[in-house]
Amino acid sequence: MKKLSTLFALLVAFSLVLAACGSGGTAVQDEFSALAEFEGLKLDAGSCDYGGKVLSIEAVDELTVVFTLCKPDPAFEAKIAFTPFGIQPQEHLARTGGSGELLENPIGTGPYQVAEWDRGNQIVYTRFDDYWGESNGASTVTLRWLTEGAARLQELQAGTADYVSNISPSDYATVQNDPNLQILYHQNPNVFYIGFTNTASPYDNVDVRRAIALGIDYQRIVDNFYPDGSEVASHFTPCAIPNGCEGESWYEFDAEAGRALLAEAGYPDGFTTRLYYRDVFRVYLPEPARVATEIQAQLQENLGITVEVVPMESGEFIAASTSGELTDGMHLLGWGADYPHVTNFMDFHFGANNPQFGNAHAEIYGPLQEASSIADVATAAPLYAEANNAVKELVPLIPVAHGAAAHAALASLQGAYYPPFGAPQFNFLNNGTDSLVFVQNAEPISLDCADETDGESLTACQQVVETLLEYGKDSGATFPELATSCDANADSTVWTCHLRDGVKFHDGSDFDADDVVASWARGLDASNPYHVGNTGSFDYYGYLWDSFMNVPAE
Amino acid sequence: MSKYILRRILLTIPVILGILVVTFVIARSIPGDPCRSALGERATEAACNAFNARMGLDKPIVVQLGIYMREILLKGDFGDSIRYSRPVSQMIIERLPVTLELGFSALFIAILVGVPMGVISAVRRNSAVDVATMVGANIGVSMPVYWLGLMLAYVFAILLKDTPFWLAPTGRLTAGVIPDAFYQVWGLGLTRGTTLYMFADFVSNFVFFNAIITGQWDVLVDAFRHMILPAIALSTIPLSIIARITRSSMLDVLGREYVRAARAKGVAENLVIMKHALRNALLPVITVIGIQVGTLFAGAVLTETTFGLSGVGRALFDAITGRDFPIIQGFTVVVAMGYVIVNLLVDISYAYIDPRIRLR
Repeated sequence: MKKLSTLFALLVAFSLVLAACGSGGTAVQDEFSALAEFEGLKLDAGSCDYGGKVLSIEAVDELTVVFTLCKPDPAFEAKIAFTPFGIQPQEHLARTGGSGELLENPIGTGPYQVAEWDRGNQIVYTRFDDYWGESNGASTVTLRWLTEGAARLQELQAGTADYVSNISPSDYATVQNDPNLQILYHQNPNVFYIGFTNTASPYDNVDVRRAIALGIDYQRIVDNFYPDGSEVASHFTPCAIPNGCEGESWYEFDAEAGRALLAEAGYPDGFTTRLYYRDVFRVYLPEPARVATEIQAQLQENLGITVEVVPMESGEFIAASTSGELTDGMHLLGWGADYPHVTNFMDFHFGANNPQFGNAHAEIYGPLQEASSIADVATAAPLYAEANNAVKELVPLIPVAHGAAAHAALASLQGAYYPPFGAPQFNFLNNGTDSLVFVQNAEPISLDCADETDGESLTACQQVVETLLEYGKDSGATFPELATSCDANADSTVWTCHLRDGVKFHDGSDFDADDVVASWARGLDASNPYHVGNTGSFDYYGYLWDSFMNVPAE
Repeated sequence: MSKYILRRILLTIPVILGILVVTFVIARSIPGDPCRSALGERATEAACNAFNARMGLDKPIVVQLGIYMREILLKGDFGDSIRYSRPVSQMIIERLPVTLELGFSALFIAILVGVPMGVISAVRRNSAVDVATMVGANIGVSMPVYWLGLMLAYVFAILLKDTPFWLAPTGRLTAGVIPDAFYQVWGLGLTRGTTLYMFADFVSNFVFFNAIITGQWDVLVDAFRHMILPAIALSTIPLSIIARITRSSMLDVLGREYVRAARAKGVAENLVIMKHALRNALLPVITVIGIQVGTLFAGAVLTETTFGLSGVGRALFDAITGRDFPIIQGFTVVVAMGYVIVNLLVDISYAYIDPRIRLR
């Protein structure tokens, strides 16, 4: 099915035909001669029968790549700016075999290159002097990691770090009151929700679900268990995402109305149920155990529902909840945005094939399917309003809160910021010295971020490997990075990306369109010889583009 | 003696095999699966199935055990980490030296302070010094390492900032400092991946030792300044235990007739205490020290976490959380070997300290 072909033979043949016909001016011939020198790679699925979104990716000349999609994807630009879709030289991918050295020595076009990864302790970066873009950063940057928020803050207070990520909510005031420090609030769109599986009683009754939605004091939860900057969810998708907050706002807390509705549903004295959760910190749910206990108390007091709180091991909980197995209770889960588009929230959760909430609702997934092929935000808005209203009406889940996080830096650090998507670029941080220290939560798993999903790895990779587009410093809007522009055809199925000229990789090689195709082919094509990576899962390729090409039959 | 040692070494083989099997079974009995830990929350069932097939985790557990035992016994291969795709042996080479340096630094402090404290307490029984020492020992045992670590870091890294007493709050070395390994400095030209290279790499990861033999004195000083706080934090519990055991053992010995006889003969009090009493009181103390050394091989999760040290304890904790079976198994075997070796050394030391003990 896949064809890694070249235009060369076609162009030569066409040139011969032109010559034989005696037609075609010299200008045209010169153009073809120039084209004939470039042998562009092409990744071609052959058809869309494999179930994915990408039909082909082709290097039509040294600085032009054409993505042909199976159907319009309004989130295309938002997706290709995501770090896992970073570009590395095709020769490096081939030399490393797509694994091994590639896991710890990525070669990119970014402002920094990896000098050494001292396993367990630190990664040392050195500034890439041939970087195509702006670089005010230190000549050496050290990335360290500490799992404890208190220890990270102490590094900052001791002056041994310039920037630390994810300070503990209890330390916000400490940072705010220290003139030597600055706090950096981070609004990565996320949502915490209470999920139901509607295939078993009592959650097969929509009135029960609505009653619970009315019986929860959302503001109390946010006030008591969330840090500054967090907010009660008015919709499932945060309002920072375009079209996220179309339609009616969520239910207000009204215990009396909830009790009445529960009585109508046949449960005047409530019922006994379970509340499943995992005791894992996430920005959308920083204190799972305490929030679970709070919801337990609220449901007992407001609706007479007796809840048994059941903590589960994280992996087991994710597997059971997302497959819709937790039918005898509710579950606490959440979602953090991968890319800045409403489809990332709505389509994943309310799609026709998602078993998490039991039977899917056509009233929700119908308009979502229609909206998912509309690129224009305003045109799609009524459909998202319809979908959001249906979520409110049918209550497959209860959106509770959008959590906030904060980071801290020395007050003297110029240009300190934390973008809503991705991580800060070290080249924008300037402490006035040749050395900068950035401390995050954990060690990267590997530096082959085509095959990683954890934020710590992506932060480390983002300094080295660049994507075609990049996210803004203060929004999810996309801007040119390795591509100066990506233009869509009328129905957004063909995207032509014009690449930046004169860009060099850290190994001194020139960046061109073949590197783009090779990097994408490695992730997207399961039969590609370099589709190896760390775990070999290449999750984001499969997940954001619906399927891999050439998946071997089991 | 040599026969005894050989017999003890041979006896460790079934012990280690038993540990391998038990660890293997226990690791796989933990709820949850490695796939979700490795691939993250977005992983689909299909992705997990493919992952499990790639890692051999879809095979029956008996088959997995057979493969695992075969790899270890025939090739000495602990396998690759599920999460990091790196040889477990390489990770042991990186992590164990950190744990040993921390552990022995802590033990050094514990012995250096704990034994004299116990002796003084015993000699000045019921005095203010004795009470203060024992109260201090109780506090030491009771104090959470995590809290103590943060407090030490707060005092020495923040309150004493810009003074000569400043110490780094976390880390093995200052950010950006990566010492040259001795085999690089000496230009040994070892081939990566060979057994000799791995051994040399292991030795070079002992930062103190590597810095001394290569003359990297700035690295040595830096490593020393970084190790003080975690070593103090980790030493409080063994220090307290050693002090208490020393005290009770000394009190027992000081009441013996041969001590009275020595005093009656006019032997100087210092000699009575140090030569006649302390040496005989040391047996239980050495037993306790041996137990503490064994424990140190398992790493100190809280200390390593608080001070950002990447040792065995932290690696094991992360592996258990992430269901990284090869790391759990490999590191557990190393810890078990540590216990076995230390117990053997303790037994041998008995013979040296107490001539009445004859090993057969």
